[in-house]
Amino acid sequence: MEYLVESIVSAIKLIFGLNSEVFVVVWTSIRISVIAVVLASLFSIPMGLVVALQSFPGKRLLIQVLNTLVALPTVVVGLLLYGILSRQGPMGDFGLLYTPTAMVIGQSVLIIPVIWSLAISAANSADPRLSDTCKALGANFTQQGLLFLNEVRFAIMAAVVMGFGRAIGEVGIAMMLGGNIEGFTRTMTTAIALETSKGEFEFALALGMLLLLVAFVVNGLLQRFQYLNK
Amino acid sequence: MTQAYQLQNITYAHGEDLVLRIEEYSIGQNVVTALVGANGSGKSTLLNLLAFVTTPASGSLLYFDEKVINGKAQALRRQIAYVQQRPYLFNFTVLQNIELGLKLRSIDKSVWQKRIELVAENLGLQTLLQKRAHELSGGEIQKVAIARALVLEPKVLLLDEPFTHLDKGSKADIENLLNDMREAGSPTVIFSSHDQLQAQSLADQVCVLDKGQIKPCLLLNTFKGQVNADKNVFDTGRSEIQIPSTIKSGIQIAVDPAHLVLSKEELKSSMRNHFQGRVKSLQEAYGEIHIVVEAEESWQAIITHASLNELNINIGDQIWLSFKSSAVQVF
Repeated sequence: MEYLVESIVSAIKLIFGLNSEVFVVVWTSIRISVIAVVLASLFSIPMGLVVALQSFPGKRLLIQVLNTLVALPTVVVGLLLYGILSRQGPMGDFGLLYTPTAMVIGQSVLIIPVIWSLAISAANSADPRLSDTCKALGANFTQQGLLFLNEVRFAIMAAVVMGFGRAIGEVGIAMMLGGNIEGFTRTMTTAIALETSKGEFEFALALGMLLLLVAFVVNGLLQRFQYLNK
Repeated sequence: MTQAYQLQNITYAHGEDLVLRIEEYSIGQNVVTALVGANGSGKSTLLNLLAFVTTPASGSLLYFDEKVINGKAQALRRQIAYVQQRPYLFNFTVLQNIELGLKLRSIDKSVWQKRIELVAENLGLQTLLQKRAHELSGGEIQKVAIARALVLEPKVLLLDEPFTHLDKGSKADIENLLNDMREAGSPTVIFSSHDQLQAQSLADQVCVLDKGQIKPCLLLNTFKGQVNADKNVFDTGRSEIQIPSTIKSGIQIAVDPAHLVLSKEELKSSMRNHFQGRVKSLQEAYGEIHIVVEAEESWQAIITHASLNELNINIGDQIWLSFKSSAVQVF
């Protein structure tokens, strides 16, 4: 117990001592995850609205596949993309392996099903009169999508936050595609794994606390946004 | 004359339930048409089809002589304004909700203010314009939705149960609005109602729906009995009513109250049905006078205020009631 308390105190000192090593790792994590979330959202949200608002053959199967992919293990995504991005892979010539770009690609692939699936649910949760009202007002499909986006914006924001949480908290892709290179691709999760294995428990704990803090702040911002827009 | 809508063999189903089946029906342009029927009779389904919000399972739908096909529906919707039974307002202010249709239809911004001011004044919405939609009462929501439709100045205005949730004053506002549009002859208005008196007072044309089918009858002045083809009459047991000679069978008749002519003396005219009776009740509703006359059967007639003044009648007075045999619908 004493060991744990001492570790927590040391971790807090590391955070408030503005340890540059800690903050580089935190910044790398946030930067990569934010870019991945933005890219995934730009694809997934419009696709979610298209799937929710349109009828087409195979729609139910697609939703079932997306729901399955929500639980996709990060190491499986890491493994597949490792095969594609490694020197022998089809995209090996781009030299992306062990770069932040590879991590962004990996995290985007990981969270696209999450945001896409939740965006479909968000659009489906809208008032059943909304679709007919949009049509009756003369909205074209794009206008209808934008009106839906506005009406279910809180649920969409929650989907994005969920995606961010999944991206920033994953370790498999960051490790396999980023390589945990200090000051370059080392993220909070990979650093926690490494430092713990080295016995640097205080450093790992400090990062763990910061990881929780980031999640807490992002959720707090979402709640504030919902409150202000009520 | 061009009809606003022509429906032929139209069907619509919810799953396996056929909820609408219309063999043939036309809705005139620049007139007010009322769809009358009980809950679940298919009024809203028919309005959804007329608004091109849904498409029929089968049949042909012509809109101003133009065949409606899927690819055209969105362009045609922009000529129509449709207020649903429980209108949906967006999470904006009232003003933004009213402006929305104008924005979506890319209507020139220079006309917005004038149209909005006029409609807001007609419906008494001036003080609500900056309120958010979720702060409104049911009646206010209904009025904002009607305002949102009217500012579009549509070719066809569709209103699904527009009087629901409205208080007496607001009902009168909407009734006056419908009467003004009826007098102006524009736009083509189709509204649904479960109140047949209201429908017959406000509309030029009444369409009765029952279990998804159009009934060739009116719900007022309906009597059961049998046709006596030899005498060209319909015998209700209490009264013999002259009917067109072409009709040889039927078990029920209906006579549109607007076709009944009231007079103090027996009229010398080509009308073949004349009954003397007594005024049982007089009631003002929807801007007109509804009179019940006991003349062998109990008859309901609708007259204007001016006619009432001319006739100078009171409850209990003796009165003559006349109508043409062609006003009798037998089915």
